[in-house]
Amino acid sequence: MKIGVFVCHCGSNIEGTVDTKTVAEASLDFPEVTFATDTMYACSEPGQDGIIEAIEEHKLDGVVVASCTPRMHEPTFRKTLERAGLNPYMFEMANIREHVSWIGKDREANTNKAADLVRIAVEKLRRNQPLTPKEFDINRRVLVIGGGVAGIQAALDCAEAGLEVVMVERESTIGGKMAKLDKTFPTVDCSSCILGPRMVEIAQHPNITLYAYSEVESVSGYVGNFEVQVKKKATYVDWAKCTGCGECVEKCPSRKAPDPFNELLAPGRAINIPFPQAIPKKAYIQAEHCIKLTKDKCGNCAKVCPSDAINFEAKDEIITEEVGGIIAATGYDLFDWTVYEEYGGGRYPDVVTSLQYERMLSASGPTGGHVKRPSDGKEPKKVVFIQCVGSRDKSVGRPYCSGFCCMYTAKQAILTKDHIPDSESYVFYMDIRAPGKLYDEFTRRAMEEYGAQYIRGRVGMVYPDGEGQLVVRGADTLMGTQVEVKADLVVLAVGAEAAKNSPQLAEKLRISYDAYGFFMEGHPKLKPVETNTAGVYLAGACQGAKDIPASVGQGSAAAAKVIGLFSKEKLKSDPQTALVDIKRCIGCGKCAETCPFGAINMTEFRGQPKAEVLETVCQGCGLCAATCPQGAVQLKHFTDNQILAEVEALCRF
Amino acid sequence: MLEQLKDTIKKALPELDFVIGWGMGFDALHATPLFMYEPEDVDKLVWGPLNVHNLATYLPALKGRKVGIVVKGCDSRSVAELLQENLINREDVVIFGAPCRGTVSLTKIRKVIGNTGLIEDVNYADGTLTVKAEGASHEMALKDIRADKCGYCRFPNAVLSDHFVGEKRAPQVEEDTFEDLAEFESQPFEERRDFWMKEMDRCIRCYACRNACPLCVCRDHCVAQSRDPHWLSQQDGVRDKFMFQIIHATHLAGRCTTCGECERACPVDIPVLLFKRKFTKAIKDTFDYDAGLDPEATPPLLAFKANEDNIKEKEW
Amino acid sequence: MPVLEGRELRIIGFLCNWCSYGGADTAGVARFDQPTDLRIIRVPCSGRIDPLFVAKAFMNGADGVLVSGCHPRDCHYAEGNFYARRRLEVFKNFISVLGIEPERFEYTWVSASEGQRWQEVVTKFTNQVHTLGPLAPVPEISLDRLAATETAQP
Repeated sequence: MKIGVFVCHCGSNIEGTVDTKTVAEASLDFPEVTFATDTMYACSEPGQDGIIEAIEEHKLDGVVVASCTPRMHEPTFRKTLERAGLNPYMFEMANIREHVSWIGKDREANTNKAADLVRIAVEKLRRNQPLTPKEFDINRRVLVIGGGVAGIQAALDCAEAGLEVVMVERESTIGGKMAKLDKTFPTVDCSSCILGPRMVEIAQHPNITLYAYSEVESVSGYVGNFEVQVKKKATYVDWAKCTGCGECVEKCPSRKAPDPFNELLAPGRAINIPFPQAIPKKAYIQAEHCIKLTKDKCGNCAKVCPSDAINFEAKDEIITEEVGGIIAATGYDLFDWTVYEEYGGGRYPDVVTSLQYERMLSASGPTGGHVKRPSDGKEPKKVVFIQCVGSRDKSVGRPYCSGFCCMYTAKQAILTKDHIPDSESYVFYMDIRAPGKLYDEFTRRAMEEYGAQYIRGRVGMVYPDGEGQLVVRGADTLMGTQVEVKADLVVLAVGAEAAKNSPQLAEKLRISYDAYGFFMEGHPKLKPVETNTAGVYLAGACQGAKDIPASVGQGSAAAAKVIGLFSKEKLKSDPQTALVDIKRCIGCGKCAETCPFGAINMTEFRGQPKAEVLETVCQGCGLCAATCPQGAVQLKHFTDNQILAEVEALCRF
Repeated sequence: MLEQLKDTIKKALPELDFVIGWGMGFDALHATPLFMYEPEDVDKLVWGPLNVHNLATYLPALKGRKVGIVVKGCDSRSVAELLQENLINREDVVIFGAPCRGTVSLTKIRKVIGNTGLIEDVNYADGTLTVKAEGASHEMALKDIRADKCGYCRFPNAVLSDHFVGEKRAPQVEEDTFEDLAEFESQPFEERRDFWMKEMDRCIRCYACRNACPLCVCRDHCVAQSRDPHWLSQQDGVRDKFMFQIIHATHLAGRCTTCGECERACPVDIPVLLFKRKFTKAIKDTFDYDAGLDPEATPPLLAFKANEDNIKEKEW
Repeated sequence: MPVLEGRELRIIGFLCNWCSYGGADTAGVARFDQPTDLRIIRVPCSGRIDPLFVAKAFMNGADGVLVSGCHPRDCHYAEGNFYARRRLEVFKNFISVLGIEPERFEYTWVSASEGQRWQEVVTKFTNQVHTLGPLAPVPEISLDRLAATETAQP
């Protein structure tokens, strides 16, 4: 074998703390290395051309590139090899950037370590075999998890492109957080007016199947061929019959049930239709608050229902859907602001969250669009907004900026003035973050045209003055003084965190998530809607807090990724799969027993039991290889001999 | 009891290809595996503290044939383990069990009587073993020359059998306290390492430990002698011999019943059972599992729990 | 030279591709300084790691071995790390009988987003191994021949 080694400078990223020339020279001493050089940017066009030329000139059969992480450029260089006529799998990378040059400045130690990493790459490559991927069919259906604005956008784009779409929504209506908003910044257009028609399109589109009040139970399979179990939670209303007339809601005597759509501002009914524009506009019963279901009394709804849709016997139902791609668009939830004892921790009725305030402003909300204090129903004249509640605050474990709160607070200040012209608004802020198109202009309008008084500083305490008002005491860091504002109503700009149960969903999807439950994108810059699991994409705030335009943009981007994936005739499976040496296999079946994918079958060969790997099912984890005592199952490209050679290379002398 | 055992075997013999037991070997001190095809062969059967071999070792190679096997308690656990791993079929094996009073360690006997020539006679009664060799008579208390494994035996009766002859005996101990291990590990790490360096240096790499092991079922495909995968070189150095013992023990983790055949078979008396004892204790402590008791059980290393009961991961 | 004599010890890391290798990348992208001793071998999943690779490393003269995979429940392959956890835990227990301090071997979980945690793990583990000092490799040859070569080379 003739191996060529290319040691990348990555500009100064590597060369700054690694002597790449010395690494290249040292590589020439490694077994079967016949060519080695340093190169400015291995991944650039001239860099790749240099590799191709060297392959041709030096008749190389394998290439090691020492540069950045293989998680970034392994596919790039495999294509380079392919262009040079080599099998793309005769390639290894040594990660001398993320794992060497970027984590220390000791040039001697770095150079030495880089050479060591090249050595193990060479030892592994010496034992590589040319591999050819297998092709398999794609199921051209896509699952969209979450029916907020990002999911709606993704679903409509896919459906318009002719794909069959399955949408699963946890609540009884789609629309997500956007449906709860009164107006949107920076245009102050009506949220439900722009979202409503898109929700209707979801309901009417022939390519879209909507499962509302449903959750993803489990996901198996792989890109191109996922099998998804969807749990349709019992609504106790036969939605095929329900016309959404609302008669049942009127007659429901259980009037202390929560109304999650209205952010618990006012009590709701046990049987409920979230809001007039709900899609689907169907009633559902909250079982734990239903008198019939808890005490076997009442049953009013069944009596009044004109279409006989009530069914108290209903059970959860599991439906299996087969899809080829998945878009997660599960959005966000509000941070639990009650941990802020100093803001009343949920004890003062006139301290509300920003989303509760939206419902108050909304004509479809419980107050019919009239701003009223929850305590006494009076119109507030002085409203104080407190920003960064659960954002940029390490003390509550939320160090990040939620991004959109500055903007919606400005919007709410403007709307307050619109609703109550003689009102005053005060905004306590840390910094104003308004970097979007027309955003800064918008916050300035709130201050300059609508007279919102912005006070830079954190609020230390909110307490009732005993005469019906709240005292908001905080710092004004620009004036260097303490300020106290008496408020009729306090609105907390509560930050975003990942939607409840996001980690559990991530585990089902086998994607990564961060400490706050936000899903990890494939690459922070270059793969913003991909994940590290092929066929699973992200859209909207589930990846990190973002506003409506960004969520919609990601919805379209994720759809484009799925459409691109499905535009291929067939998909290629990763050929780095397990392989059984039937001579060595004693048929004990331990591999088949532990394989997480059922990719190993026990068969018979000349009367002897033998294991057999189903290549397109195998995902290449290598658990079988670690389980087989006699080493009869080997994972291609991660064989025992390769790993042993790497270990030995690292432990010389 | 022996006669009763013989009768039982004779009755079952017509249905079987043969029955494996023990007969007298080249002298009265050494028993040897006995393959009984005919009723006359059964008359050669012996039972007692000299029946040191674990005959279950033969079974995997006989898979598919109908055979009988005579087992001590410890041997029966190996049979259970082989059944669990589908290496033998339950319906093909007829198990004859009898209560075991413990076996001897021939190494320990050799230490007492020395390297004698011809053994003239051996008698055991009332906890004493008398060996006559070269005119001299050596009396030894059975407990002094007992195999170590019998000292912590919890299963003197077969854990599974088709025919059990004789009265079941109470176990030697209720719990295995692993005192042998604790004693060894009371030494500093460096001394343990040095100990093994010297012991492994003595190893002649004969693989008797592996070949005697009833659960070393890879047979011709043992990784010790393959190039793909190439875990070990054929060099006669300490490293490869030590590594082999680690491989052997690791492959047995969760499977080993500590029958002690590896150590018994070792011609240079290296205490290789200690490695397996360590794994056995770790498995017991972590998963409360004993290998070779239940052919239907899933061994702990081929299973998992999302929340492990006894694994505390390191907090950094 | 595999490591800088007198300054570094031989520490081998086996990292799963999807979480911990990514976590080490994240630490690199964030420029989190780390000791230089560790050499990383990339494997698809912690479930691929036969504890015997760890043994082999120690036999050949590694002073410390670190295995890192996805957090339990987050395995890219659903279950690989669950099996790994059992096998590695038992193996960590085992090595003390060989005369190898269990602290020379750690297994842990670091996700692709946990760059900072990775820095912490590498730093603490490297310090832990340095506290124990070097572990002599097991001689490739017999003790007699070793003694002979040692006398031959004063």
